Amino acid sequence: MRSPSNIEIRRCQPLLGTFVEITAQGRDERLLTRGIEAGFGAIAKVNRLMSFHGRLSDVSRMNRDAFPRGVIVHPWTWQVMKAAKRLAEESRGAFDITVAPWLTKWDYLPRRGYQFSPTATSRDIFVRRGYEVFFRRGLTVDLGGIAKGFAVDRAVDALKENGIECGIVNAGGDMRTFGPASQLIHLRHPTDPTRLAGAVRLRERAMATSGIYFERRKHHGRYVSPLLDGRSGQAARELISVSVAAAECTTADALTKVVFALREEAAGVLACYGADALLLQRDGAPSWMFHSSCDTPGRTRFD
Amino acid sequence: MKAEFVLVALPVSALITPSAFAVRYLTVEQAQQAIFPGKSFTASPVKLTSVQRKAIEQVSGVRVLHDDQQVWRVSGGCWFIVDEVVGKHEFITYAAGLTVDGSVKQIEIMDYRETYGGQIRDQKWRVQFVGKTSKSTLKLDSDIKNISGATLSCRHITDGVKRLLAFYEIALKH
Repeated sequence: MRSPSNIEIRRCQPLLGTFVEITAQGRDERLLTRGIEAGFGAIAKVNRLMSFHGRLSDVSRMNRDAFPRGVIVHPWTWQVMKAAKRLAEESRGAFDITVAPWLTKWDYLPRRGYQFSPTATSRDIFVRRGYEVFFRRGLTVDLGGIAKGFAVDRAVDALKENGIECGIVNAGGDMRTFGPASQLIHLRHPTDPTRLAGAVRLRERAMATSGIYFERRKHHGRYVSPLLDGRSGQAARELISVSVAAAECTTADALTKVVFALREEAAGVLACYGADALLLQRDGAPSWMFHSSCDTPGRTRFD
Repeated sequence: MKAEFVLVALPVSALITPSAFAVRYLTVEQAQQAIFPGKSFTASPVKLTSVQRKAIEQVSGVRVLHDDQQVWRVSGGCWFIVDEVVGKHEFITYAAGLTVDGSVKQIEIMDYRETYGGQIRDQKWRVQFVGKTSKSTLKLDSDIKNISGATLSCRHITDGVKRLLAFYEIALKH
């Protein structure tokens, strides 16, 4: 598959609060470098638009003004809001971008004095024509559970638009591969990040993993994590990791949160998106796997 | 295009192997060209005085671990700095390009290594690592090239850059 003249360039930049690595394979070094730079550019743009912390980001503008006036956002932000709303509906609320009040309580996100309506959900968000987003009630959104995957997808687009045929974009474990070569992805052990639990082979597919081992914090003597069930605000307290593979990283990223909350009950939602899931228990053993049975581009198999 | 998602069963020995994840992304020269393409570079290393070190710590709120800072003056008046940060699981060398007015132009990770300090209690794991240098990449059925898991924070880089900006103000600007 790889001819002797093939070269591979790998670069890594700190973006989206994590390490974003872009690997591109091809023959023309300048083409690869230009493509990789365009990829990082797309990720930096998503970072600017969807950062919870940036005062001028679309997310901050929505949190300030989408209730009661509505705001016009960038088409990319609009696309993510639309995807998030659909995911909330399909998962009957298990995925919800309006969970920020709990996160701010636990100091995962800054307290910004936004108005929170305690019962507000994604149902109070309206994504309208003309790239307008309107909130029916005072609420705060955080795109942390989906924007990283979206950024990976936009970086892959940018690489392809620059003529790169084979590569991988990996944003701190949320990744997407494209091109004819399959890539071996190792999975961290759920309870010990310095160990590996297994490996997965991906081709033309995205995969995202959520776990809580790097993110545990104590709140009133209990460990909490930013992975929440949108319906209850309860943190997933068990130390496990969830990997989801799908055609796009946006859905893979968001669906890890759905699987975390719903476990086996997530099967229906996964099937909707042609996604596969792998859940690792505390000892690193795979405890639940789901193969999407609908018309995915290729047969999915776990050995 | 067919998609694949196949779980590869690893041998038992691999299950207890720490992830010796080490990647060299860029050499100094490559990082220079990645951040400032076509420019020329003059090495101008800086050795901090204890007064400067304390001032940088005070301004940035980040501890200074090394008094020696690798700095290059870039043709046109910009700066290129190579720096290191140590996280809980990782050891990272990175390059920062600063513009003429001292703002960050670009950050590139040069070396990324995951370390195991304090994490390995099982002696058997330690044995597997005797003789391995920090630069050697563990061979499994294939090199470990991509790892998925809960997201690693790049907070240490963020702190490092904060420290470099204070370093610029105190030691480079004039």
